[in-house]
Amino acid sequence: MGIGAAALLVLVVLPLASLVWGSVSADGRLTLDHFREAFGRRLYLQALWNSLVLGTWTAVLSVVIGLPMAWAVGRTNVPAKRFVHGTAIVAYITPPYLTAIAFVNLFGPNAGLVNRFLRETLGLPALTFNVFSMSGLVLVTVIHTFPFVYLLAASALESVDASMEESAQVLGAGRWRTAVLITAPLVAPAILSGALIAFVNAIALFGSQAIIGLPGRVFTLPTRIYALFDYPPQYGLASAMSLIFVAITVAALALQRRYLARRSYVTLGGKGSRPQLIDLGGARWGVFGFCVGVFVVAVIAPYVTLLAVSLSKSWGLRFWENLTLHNYRFVLLEYDVTRRAIWNSLLLASAAATAAVLLGSLISWIDLRTILRGRKLLDYASLVPLGLPGIVVAVALIQFWLRMPLPIYGTLLIILLAYTGRYIPLGVRSASAAFSQIDPSLEETARVTGAGWLRTFGAVTLPLARPGLFAGWLLVFVPALQELSASILLFSSGSITLAVAVYNLYETGYLEAVAALAIVTMVIITVAITVATRLGRGGPRLERAPVTN
Amino acid sequence: MAGITIESVTKRYGALAAVNDLSLEIADREFVTLLGPSGCGKTTLLRLLAGFAVPDEGTIRVDGAILSTKTSVVPPERRGMGMVFQNYAVWPHKTVYANVAFGLEIRRLPRAETRARMARILELVNLSGLEDRYPNQLSGGQQQRVALARSLVVEPSILLLDEPLSNLDAKLRERMRWELKDLQRRTGITFVYVTHDQSEAMALSDRIAVMHQGQLQQYGRPREVYARPANRTVADFMGLVNLVPAHVVVSATDGGLVEIGGHRVPVTLPPDARAGQTVQVAIRPENVRLAAAGAGASGEAGAISAKVVEVTFLGNLTDCHVTLEDGTRVRVQAGPGETLEVGQRVHVKFDAQLCTVFYE
Repeated sequence: MGIGAAALLVLVVLPLASLVWGSVSADGRLTLDHFREAFGRRLYLQALWNSLVLGTWTAVLSVVIGLPMAWAVGRTNVPAKRFVHGTAIVAYITPPYLTAIAFVNLFGPNAGLVNRFLRETLGLPALTFNVFSMSGLVLVTVIHTFPFVYLLAASALESVDASMEESAQVLGAGRWRTAVLITAPLVAPAILSGALIAFVNAIALFGSQAIIGLPGRVFTLPTRIYALFDYPPQYGLASAMSLIFVAITVAALALQRRYLARRSYVTLGGKGSRPQLIDLGGARWGVFGFCVGVFVVAVIAPYVTLLAVSLSKSWGLRFWENLTLHNYRFVLLEYDVTRRAIWNSLLLASAAATAAVLLGSLISWIDLRTILRGRKLLDYASLVPLGLPGIVVAVALIQFWLRMPLPIYGTLLIILLAYTGRYIPLGVRSASAAFSQIDPSLEETARVTGAGWLRTFGAVTLPLARPGLFAGWLLVFVPALQELSASILLFSSGSITLAVAVYNLYETGYLEAVAALAIVTMVIITVAITVATRLGRGGPRLERAPVTN
Repeated sequence: MAGITIESVTKRYGALAAVNDLSLEIADREFVTLLGPSGCGKTTLLRLLAGFAVPDEGTIRVDGAILSTKTSVVPPERRGMGMVFQNYAVWPHKTVYANVAFGLEIRRLPRAETRARMARILELVNLSGLEDRYPNQLSGGQQQRVALARSLVVEPSILLLDEPLSNLDAKLRERMRWELKDLQRRTGITFVYVTHDQSEAMALSDRIAVMHQGQLQQYGRPREVYARPANRTVADFMGLVNLVPAHVVVSATDGGLVEIGGHRVPVTLPPDARAGQTVQVAIRPENVRLAAAGAGASGEAGAISAKVVEVTFLGNLTDCHVTLEDGTRVRVQAGPGETLEVGQRVHVKFDAQLCTVFYE
């Protein structure tokens, strides 16, 4: 209990407290000046407004894309369902800043390949699309967020018992009326919940908002907060902005919880029977075409573009005429940051995943198996980071550790603290899920047989919970390996991470090398996931997606 | 009028025939139960009737009109039937009133008539006053009645019920049983009822169709199916039964006698049974009589000597196991007043009228 409480205090509570203190104080005096400034200046209000616009559009479009796909897979005879499902999974795993870089290469106003093709080859400048705009930002973000709606809607559709729909049919409602009057209201809470998670994720993504938004002068909360750390840093204002950011996120998550609570009625009923699939006839190819379209935009476009850019000497309409491996040689051998970044990211992701799962196990075990006072409080505190966007975690940690005598700012340790703090809710949730499946009598048997509680935990509880805990480990490891939002404020040249390296290289404008590094990043992520999955049995449970990114 | 004719219907799932060449005639206003163990095809047959499944062979007719063949099936929404599911399938996002009124709204009934019918049906199933509740505020029995009312309010000529009582506790189940039967009598709707509970089937049905492995085993009135099972599967399924090995001694034409454990017992034999044939005599535990040995009964015709090996007092009866001289174990249900002790020697008597003989 003591260890768990101390860890949460250092990881979450104290940094958050210094964030709050920082937002209402200047030179040790209480003041509301920071909030006054945040709400008083156009500069900051515009960022707030842009974030809300971005989040809302992303949420709406996530439903527009994710829901038809989920419905097609769950309820119709659309062909190649595994392919449709795979599209959503790959789109979800792809780091959003890589998608953003790829789309810059396609739709950059001057050098973007598609735009140049339209302008120079077809002579249709009217059709060009400037990615450095709110529309471009929404497009790039939706690619990452529609899987939340897809996965939640798909699982809700699956859990609606077929008899619910069949009852309506017997009473005279046709297929479409049944879909509108019965199925849709039953899965609506899950869809809304997915949309809200998409919203929360969308507004928290620093990478795409910096890559797409800054050149287009579309400032958002994360990029504004980031800019406040330029010399001279304005900690007070950054803290106030961070708290406003947290308020939006928490409000959205609170709303989501309410809808999710109502969702419980989907799983009512006895033995779930498989629903009959709707025969779409010829229309199934239309629906399939829609899914292929999503696949092309969300998977083919980013990956093929990055691959093509990384292999070309200079990106342009005739890029295939001078293919080269030079960019790979540069990022792997000549650019000494790369190897350090790879090593740091692997180290940080493994350490953060291990720490989050260990702490999560401890906290959920205390919650589930003991009657210690304050265990519920501990559990709630561990869920607080769900409401904290990555950049806010970074601001809070900086605020806290700058006041402490320990000089950990600029080291790997502070990044590790940020990752562990951010992802501890995933650790706690996975551990609770794993432990609650173990009947207490199994542990009690060990105790009665004479084993102490430590022995029982090691010999009975842990081995039984292992697959669930490992799934949790992977659930933390994968996003930690790609983390950018918090790292971007916390890194130093020695503690640079993979995502930061990609972002920094992008800022220098050397697009071909960035693409090569992006491909390297994807290879490392894929290999790491594969190796990790092999080592621990049981695959990643991606349907229990992390809530903030 | 809504008589159902099922003609040589087969439904396969892969290599398995869930319903195999099955024919069944259900009369108008009849209460018919499809009875059998799980996996016997009874639910598949119900879904074929509802139009959720397409037969691979055969036809289904209602009042002469063809509803299902392997090439064309009238969809469920155009059959005008009602269906009650095992899990009730009461829509959790609608109130009691909205659940029950759904079918009327689909049919666009005038508002006055909707209101009148709703009042009548809610009264009928005892749900008046609960109109504005949501299903999660209802007990299992109340949800059950919502499902019933929802199907009945549209006044179907046929109601299909898929194990509607299996999720209720024992007491409620018995009450709902009675209510269902009463409802069927009052409404005159043809009921097709699926269950695996033989006592439920006997309590409710005009006729029972016993199914096993996709095939119809027997179709008849409850008494008939219970007392004169067509084969061992039916005998076994319709309740406890002793299957006692025996030899035919005298064929049916000459009176009918079999030998059990060295004793000659009169039974009703099938007409083609020949002397010397090995058969099984099926008799239900409540039809076996016991008499204390030594009361001069040993000479009585048909009495078999046996020994009590187990006695369990169950309150309303005494459950008892005896072994015959050849080692055959026979279960007997005697009256609660019967005083029996383990080890006691007794005489066992089978009522010839209540025995059924099957070939090995």
